[in-house]
Amino acid sequence: MGAGLLSRGVSVRPLMPAARLLAAGILVMGAALVALAEETPTAFSRDLARLDASIARLASARPDESLLSLLYARAMLTGAPDDFRRVETGVAAALRDPSPPVSLICLHAQLCLQQHRLPEARRDIEHLAIADLSPDIQNLQADLALQEGRYDEARRSCEALLKSGPRWDALARLASLHALVGETARAGSLYAQAGDELTAKQMRAYAWIEVQSGLLALNHGRLAEAEGHYRRADQAYSGHWFVEEHLAEILGAQRRFPEAIALYEKILARTPRPEIQQALGDLYVYMGRPDQAQLWHDQALSGYLASAARGEVQYFHHLAGFYADVRQDGPEAVKWARRDLELRSNFAARDSLAWALFRSGKFAEARSAIETALASGVRDAHVFYHAAMIGFASGQADEGRRFLEQVAALNPRYADSFHVHR
Amino acid sequence: MNFSFLKQRSALASASLAVALFSLALASTRVSAADHNDPNAVNSIFSDVPIDAADLYDFFGFPSDDTTGGEKVVLALTFAAVPKAGVFDPDLLYRILVSPEPRPAPINPDDQSLGAVLKHIEAVKEKYVHLKPAEVRVTTNAEGRATVAFLRFPGGDFSRVVEMNKSVTVESPGGHKLKVFIGGRDDAFFNDLPGFFRSINYAPQFYHVPHAMTADRELKIPKTLIELEGNTLFNFDPNNPEHGQGVKLDLPSGPLVWHGDKFHRDAKGNFRFVYSGKDAQAGKNINAVILELPLAFVTPSPAVDRIVNTWGESWVLKATHKVPNIADDRAPVRVPFVLRHPWVLPGVVLLLGAVLVVYGVRAWRARSRAGRIPLWPALRIAAGALVIVLGATGGVIAGQIARQKPDLAKRPAELDEQLRRYKLVDTDGQPFADAALNERDDNRQLGAYNIWLGPGFVTRLAHLGWGFGPSISALGLETSFDHDHSPVSVYKTYTSPVAAFPRARKVIFQQLNMPDGSWNKRGLPIPLKRSLEIFVPNVCAIDMDTTGTWPYGRRPEDQVATRFLSLFLDMNAEIGGKKYNIETLASQALWDQAPIEPKTPPNPLKNDKEFLKEFPYLAAPWEPGY
Repeated sequence: MGAGLLSRGVSVRPLMPAARLLAAGILVMGAALVALAEETPTAFSRDLARLDASIARLASARPDESLLSLLYARAMLTGAPDDFRRVETGVAAALRDPSPPVSLICLHAQLCLQQHRLPEARRDIEHLAIADLSPDIQNLQADLALQEGRYDEARRSCEALLKSGPRWDALARLASLHALVGETARAGSLYAQAGDELTAKQMRAYAWIEVQSGLLALNHGRLAEAEGHYRRADQAYSGHWFVEEHLAEILGAQRRFPEAIALYEKILARTPRPEIQQALGDLYVYMGRPDQAQLWHDQALSGYLASAARGEVQYFHHLAGFYADVRQDGPEAVKWARRDLELRSNFAARDSLAWALFRSGKFAEARSAIETALASGVRDAHVFYHAAMIGFASGQADEGRRFLEQVAALNPRYADSFHVHR
Repeated sequence: MNFSFLKQRSALASASLAVALFSLALASTRVSAADHNDPNAVNSIFSDVPIDAADLYDFFGFPSDDTTGGEKVVLALTFAAVPKAGVFDPDLLYRILVSPEPRPAPINPDDQSLGAVLKHIEAVKEKYVHLKPAEVRVTTNAEGRATVAFLRFPGGDFSRVVEMNKSVTVESPGGHKLKVFIGGRDDAFFNDLPGFFRSINYAPQFYHVPHAMTADRELKIPKTLIELEGNTLFNFDPNNPEHGQGVKLDLPSGPLVWHGDKFHRDAKGNFRFVYSGKDAQAGKNINAVILELPLAFVTPSPAVDRIVNTWGESWVLKATHKVPNIADDRAPVRVPFVLRHPWVLPGVVLLLGAVLVVYGVRAWRARSRAGRIPLWPALRIAAGALVIVLGATGGVIAGQIARQKPDLAKRPAELDEQLRRYKLVDTDGQPFADAALNERDDNRQLGAYNIWLGPGFVTRLAHLGWGFGPSISALGLETSFDHDHSPVSVYKTYTSPVAAFPRARKVIFQQLNMPDGSWNKRGLPIPLKRSLEIFVPNVCAIDMDTTGTWPYGRRPEDQVATRFLSLFLDMNAEIGGKKYNIETLASQALWDQAPIEPKTPPNPLKNDKEFLKEFPYLAAPWEPGY
């Protein structure tokens, strides 16, 4: 149009200020819309605001169990390491009281389980079980058994709890135990039952259940189904980094890289957790862009090591995986895997050690370790894949092929799809 | 080979997975609020349970004093003012269930046995499992309008959208005028709740007790109306006078018990009352559904159906329906095996009968062939036939009962389309049925169907009696509980109603005297009530020939907390030449003479705001309310 006007000798110069004004207006409106979209309260931001208001009301008082419970709830919501450290410090101080309240011991047990400090968690839970064997304490016992690799015991605990009536938390635990041994249909049905026990007042828990159902689908290569669950989780409880992180993963698995990267960056801007930094680095590696991966991997490693330097133990498992897969540094991976296994003798820690030993070229030891992981009854494509590679490396080609067949049977898309370290 | 993108994944992701579950279950924002004690899961008395719109507080029901155009019955269901007074939570659904009937025959006064208790429970069960009550169902939207549905009333189903916080008149298809108020009001419950909790040593009122700590609720300390010497956990502390009345402390560790052997007395020899007489609900608001319905709308036979049984329920929208298109099924609450599989036991009996018949026929033939009289085989055949008849009858009866399940025991597919989208949370019929008798157990929110809890009613009353009985005696009053002249309250629990019943017999069976004859407004031969008739089933049974004062309904001005305590008074005893009655403990003169401090009736005598003389009866809300 402009060319046409020019060709007819009409000057457009007088229109330029108006055009600039229009463009500026559009920009301003766009920015305002973006800002508005950013500020639209989500379920996450509303809960966070409520928690912060409650914390502020109690903050001037002595840090008692009520305040610590709120701080713990905040940490669980944000997942921020600083929030965990804050509550950890407060609980440690409160526990110096010669007769701490039972509820504080319960809180400490939860924290210890969260942070992989199982001996402390065990001591607390044993103490709690003497005083009380309420369903929530029984749930804690089941969680401890799960972490310590006592899967039958964990399963029995959940089943015993369910005898007195349906409880979403026990159903979800039982579902995860069925998923562990490859009973996918049963696990899916139990997750659905757990979701059905929840009300409109428990949408965060409902979102969590949907994410677990999505993971179940993802672990069997059903990407669209997994995405459906994650989308519903996001609908149920909007703005939660935990849900978005899984959505980013599925986008990566579906090769929708720009969307996945944008979402990861959005999450990391709010929640700079090292494992999410590693996930974004892994995605760049998967996309064949190692230079961009390097930045995120370095940040992730720095975060993991800083945590370990503070005496925390919850990232040992990630460090073993990071050194084995990202740095391909076998000895360092073995070091962290062994430290993790000292804390938690579950199949995941054993598998992690087997893979680290494989990376170190210690195939016989790796084979022995992976056998102990498999002896738990776990049926997981990732563990089978490790078993296959260790089998090939140990000269057991038939065994390797057999495990690869199992990988394909469990998750036909395992070999070519993007996965995140968890 | 580059494995770098084949990152670790496991079905059991990490420790945080399981812990996240636990935290999701427990983590919530603590809000201090009044509580009238209903299911523990929505009971904000716990340090980690927020105040919840599903928490029903009270149910009021009484005949309207306004009889213009015919008799009318007033029904009011109150619940937590969440998000605030006058604003309802759109995820909630409230039901008021209504079942009119003729006045039932009273319990036979000559039979005060455990068998009579069980017979009453059986009779109630038989009636209630077949009940198809009418109901008023209320849902609200975010725009502040309520949908009120009237279902299964004689004139047919209909619904209306009404404005909230305003008295409105709705006309039924049959031309009846129904008054409706849905909105915020002043809390009509006036009561010293902290005193009640002190009397039962209920730790969550005094200490930070999370919902998970089930053993730290009612501590194993004798219940009592007067303080126990050395009960430092619950006795009034002059250095911390607000303890338990808004101030909570951390629950100490160690054995939370009491080792004393007497009641506390001050220097003047006075006991100390666990009650203060103060209104813990003063200045607080509630949300409410209030109705005034013509009796002719409720029943086609108003002259015959003089009792209107009513109760309330709260239901919360399921998460699956907050996010649409998600599969929905849930396991129902457990019902007895015989009702889940009504033909299994009768089937076994039928088989046994058939075997008897077959063997009898065989023996008959053998004896006949041998030329002997087949007397025994004939008896065997007859016995077999009888067993078959019994089995078949049992199966038919159990089958019928099994088909008549309360909503709580139904699968979603058995509920109507709307209720399938909700979960039942709380029920409310009789005051103190939950708090004092059902122990607020989430699984005991059965409303009218609390008949399943009948045996527990006997053991719980005996447990309460061992606490309250001796403290009543210590004050020089006569108690209906047989505590063997115990000088101090005793902590005693029962597992069997057989052992508990002899102690609680009088509490269960004695007639509860009324202070005067004003309750019986027509002077009809209406028998006095017994506690068994009041609490089983857990409904507000409004007697239209009375004023509807408790226990013949419940009027807002009734001091039901004090009247509940009177169950433990011996109604044959006299004071001041007058028999004890349900208002005896509310008499200031009694406390003026008692060796006790403070000298006050246990609970306030009137509400903090005057009730209205006309619909909606409950006072307007306080501004700003909570």
